Amino acid sequence: MTDHNSSPRAVAEPAIDIGDLYVFPSPSRPGQLVLVMTVFPNAQPGALFSDAASYRFRVRPVTIPASGPGSRFEVGTDEYDITCTFAAPETTDGTANFAQEGRCTLPNGATISFRVNDEHGGETPGARVFAGLRMDPLFIDSTGYVETLATQRLAFPVNGTNGADGWDALGIVVELDVATMLGLATGTVFAVAAETVAAGQFPVRLERFGRVFVKNQLLGQYGVDPVNRELDLRELYNQEDPFHLAPDYLGAYRARLNANLAFLDAIDEKTDWPLRPDGTHPLTELYLGDYQVVDVAKPYADDTYLEIEQALLQGRAHATCGGRSLNDDAVDTNLTFVVRGGNGPRISDGVDQATVRASDSFPYLAPPNPDPAAVGRFLVPSKLADQLAFLEQAGLASR
Amino acid sequence: MTTAGVIAVGNLNARINGQVSRATLGRLTISERAELVELLALRGNVLGCIADAERAAALADELADEAPGDARSFVARARVSGVFHRFASALTDLDIAAALGGDRAALEAERAAIYQALGRYNEALAIRQLAVERHGNFSALAALAGIHGERGEMDEAERWFSAATRSYRGTSPFPVAMLEFQRGQLWMEHGHPRRARAWCDAAVRRLPAYVPAQGHLAELDAVRGETAAAIARLRPLALASDDPDYATQLARILGNAGQMEEAQTWRGQAKARYDELLERHQDAFVDHAAEFWLTIGGDPGRALLLAQHNLSIRQTPRARALVRRSSGHPPG
Repeated sequence: MTDHNSSPRAVAEPAIDIGDLYVFPSPSRPGQLVLVMTVFPNAQPGALFSDAASYRFRVRPVTIPASGPGSRFEVGTDEYDITCTFAAPETTDGTANFAQEGRCTLPNGATISFRVNDEHGGETPGARVFAGLRMDPLFIDSTGYVETLATQRLAFPVNGTNGADGWDALGIVVELDVATMLGLATGTVFAVAAETVAAGQFPVRLERFGRVFVKNQLLGQYGVDPVNRELDLRELYNQEDPFHLAPDYLGAYRARLNANLAFLDAIDEKTDWPLRPDGTHPLTELYLGDYQVVDVAKPYADDTYLEIEQALLQGRAHATCGGRSLNDDAVDTNLTFVVRGGNGPRISDGVDQATVRASDSFPYLAPPNPDPAAVGRFLVPSKLADQLAFLEQAGLASR
Repeated sequence: MTTAGVIAVGNLNARINGQVSRATLGRLTISERAELVELLALRGNVLGCIADAERAAALADELADEAPGDARSFVARARVSGVFHRFASALTDLDIAAALGGDRAALEAERAAIYQALGRYNEALAIRQLAVERHGNFSALAALAGIHGERGEMDEAERWFSAATRSYRGTSPFPVAMLEFQRGQLWMEHGHPRRARAWCDAAVRRLPAYVPAQGHLAELDAVRGETAAAIARLRPLALASDDPDYATQLARILGNAGQMEEAQTWRGQAKARYDELLERHQDAFVDHAAEFWLTIGGDPGRALLLAQHNLSIRQTPRARALVRRSSGHPPG
């Protein structure tokens, strides 16, 4: 949900709609980096990956400026991509039961073939891959979240309801041996983004994802952007290179982020991020670099989301691996960071874990929901008008 | 390149199943309910499934009843009303959606589609041209191509069809296959079976399960004298689809080939189904039913009445031609 249904194109073709990205050192296999991308929100049995798109993890080394507190990482130019593609499915038994084959190309040029939904995935020295239907690891009180955005006040109950309860998604899990696949890189800190790209003559970027809620929250339309009130920027933003934004719409993204970050900061009725004299929000440049940052030299730890970013802002050395693990409460961390500057008390949406926790071992994502009908209410509209309609329908408009 | 048809249809089914499960539990938001209406209507169109279209219409009615303050409810209902040729209701719903603050450009596009179906081509063309001037994306370009085609301006239509195809940057095969089919259908109506075949073939290659395109290819097979190929193509359609159009076509071709017994079986099925559908959705099936009684149905009198009724609903060249043929006049 942190990026589910994040553009008209994604809604038209859910198989290319990236829901989330997770980047973390393996808890069970030290020295392995795990990359997870979910697509196809509320996927049901029978859902398959598109054969007209590439599903790509883009990895670049980053350095943390030594010049004291800052808001931008220095992203290197070397790139270590992992690209998964899928074939048109074939029926193996003459029925409508289709089997889909996938292929993953690794940073060292090696490839892994695998079959979708095969629990064991595919393997080659230095990497393992799984792709298939799994439980969506996201957890969030989406009703409380929408109410918080729509009313601009914290509206989470103590015991929230996971709107993503029981949802499945198509997941791609890649486990990389760091020494084999990233050993030639300088440093141990990497920026990671996920993207889906059209195959064929026009390799258009269809969707991209870095940090949670950048598109559906920070680029949402709450009527506070003084420059582009009506424009849905998400489709344009999706087409941008995560490591190199073109100048064409940069001003529009900046204006929206400045306005929305200030809007979110005010949710607890105090200002934790005073705007700079030119009206720039201190987090705008950080979020424009829309990727997760992970230190592969640090061991796995829980709840490390945004720790490296906060260290950068505070001008201190980071203490953890950063990134985002599957059981990480990134929704709470993100909200606390944006609303309270990362300083306590922590904001909680009242939901602290997924219905079924993700595993510590490959393929990490929990098996799909055996009863996919039993699912929650799972949508955070990015427009204020839609949020109010959502609340009205949920009977919360007057709360 | 677009997603393989088998994946796209499988994913469409999976998506509908997911939404239906949640709808049953009352967990869909208004926009998700409107989306479900769209998805069902899309599947109904692609798979030639009238039951899906009926389900979409029922859900749209429910949505408009339960969310009368939301423009999306009325847009959804207007779209399915258009499918069932309830054009006056569709236009009323679009007015309501406009009064509720619905997106003006989107509503204009919906209105243009209804005007086009009604034969109000000048009004439709003006809206379509303005839409392309404002934002020449795939949908706007394809819609402009369609209205030129309906007006018989095929050179102009081709130009816009090509522009639309070039502008497409998605991976879903549905919009492009529908465009290719529409292009084929228009060439068929304008007496160019070879061009028609090329575009219908393209649509079917992209989306093998696309029933209306398969049906048109069967018709083109028959025109070319490839009776066996036409029959082989139509049998699975007539068996799988609840749209009697395919049973009608199959009965006619079988009859022409002297296979009277099987032709009678399909004729009987088509007749029963048309009677049933006319009872429920007269305006929607009156043109196809007229074709049935004019040909294999063997009741030109009934065909003429239905064709006249169709013309009273929409004054299109196609509707006028149907009346002429039903009156015993040669096409002209």
